[in-house]
Amino acid sequence: MKISKKIIDNLKKGGVDFYLSVPCKLLANMIDILENDKDVYYSAVPREEEGMGICAGAYLGNKFPCIMMQNTGIGNSVNAIVSLLQLYQMPVVFLISYRGTPGEPVGAQGGMAKITEDILQTLRIPMLHCSSENDLEKISTFSKHAKVVESPVAILCDFNLMKDDK
Amino acid sequence: MNRFDLLNKIQKILKENLVICNIGLPSQELYKISDQPNFFYMLGSMGLSSSIGLGLALSQNKHVISIDGDGSVLMNMNTLATIGNRAPSNYTLLIIDNGSYGSTGDQRTFTDENTSLKDVAIGAGCNNVVECSGDETVNELSKAIEDQNNSYVIISKINSGNVKIDPIPLNPITIRDRFRKFIGIVKYL
Repeated sequence: MKISKKIIDNLKKGGVDFYLSVPCKLLANMIDILENDKDVYYSAVPREEEGMGICAGAYLGNKFPCIMMQNTGIGNSVNAIVSLLQLYQMPVVFLISYRGTPGEPVGAQGGMAKITEDILQTLRIPMLHCSSENDLEKISTFSKHAKVVESPVAILCDFNLMKDDK
Repeated sequence: MNRFDLLNKIQKILKENLVICNIGLPSQELYKISDQPNFFYMLGSMGLSSSIGLGLALSQNKHVISIDGDGSVLMNMNTLATIGNRAPSNYTLLIIDNGSYGSTGDQRTFTDENTSLKDVAIGAGCNNVVECSGDETVNELSKAIEDQNNSYVIISKINSGNVKIDPIPLNPITIRDRFRKFIGIVKYL
């Protein structure tokens, strides 16, 4: 819970006040925290691409949105990222559980893991890679950066960082 | 009645609300009928009009109308489940259902065959699902906006067919900023 709490605290410190998630077991603690947080909006959403649309609307309405998802969700959302969030220059934080990184027990997650950073690079989305607890301190500044550059930004949280966060 | 006729008929209501308008001909036709700063024209991301409108309605208090199409809702059908569980009362989804992919040359959609978006919306948990003719749409839309306690999904059944029209000349950032200025967020314009 310590890691998840630190991530949410830093996102909130960065100004994020509107949260969506397509669940992942590595995000479960964060979802629990958000469901009990009365200061911010939180909802689950069935599909990441749809979530990008909701985030765009939330930004138009003066919220600072974050969508939490597995890295597989980036694959589901490429056109929405390019033709909506980037076209209209909308700041949105992607909080990504980086499945398929070392420690991952499910072999099938390896495929998207191999290309996740390549996709984000191709999309010119700034990345913050979190592999240790110390990295989490950078999340608030990195989130604010999304507003400055008017762009989506991606925070990647490694499997091993999240897996023991009981 | 086709989409252009319908948009003409409802333009007065649209002008008084925040509008997210679907990509392609719906936005181009609305722009031609009457361009307004409170109209957000989608220039990409087919399928997401209902979602953008939902996010906007959840984030501020003004009434939001998402203008969507049957083809676009079929592309992002999970949106009806999210609306059915999360839509606030300042949200109306207007699905202009002409049974065709109008912007790509009027190919038939599944709503022209076996699919009923009304039944899907009800099954997805949406409140106040109304299917009506083009002529009845003005009245149904007015009722939806007047009702301060409920969100609505209105499926307006009209004929296919488009008018000859140019692309929207506005830059996306112009669309974004004048829309946010209308809401009162952008101060620098």
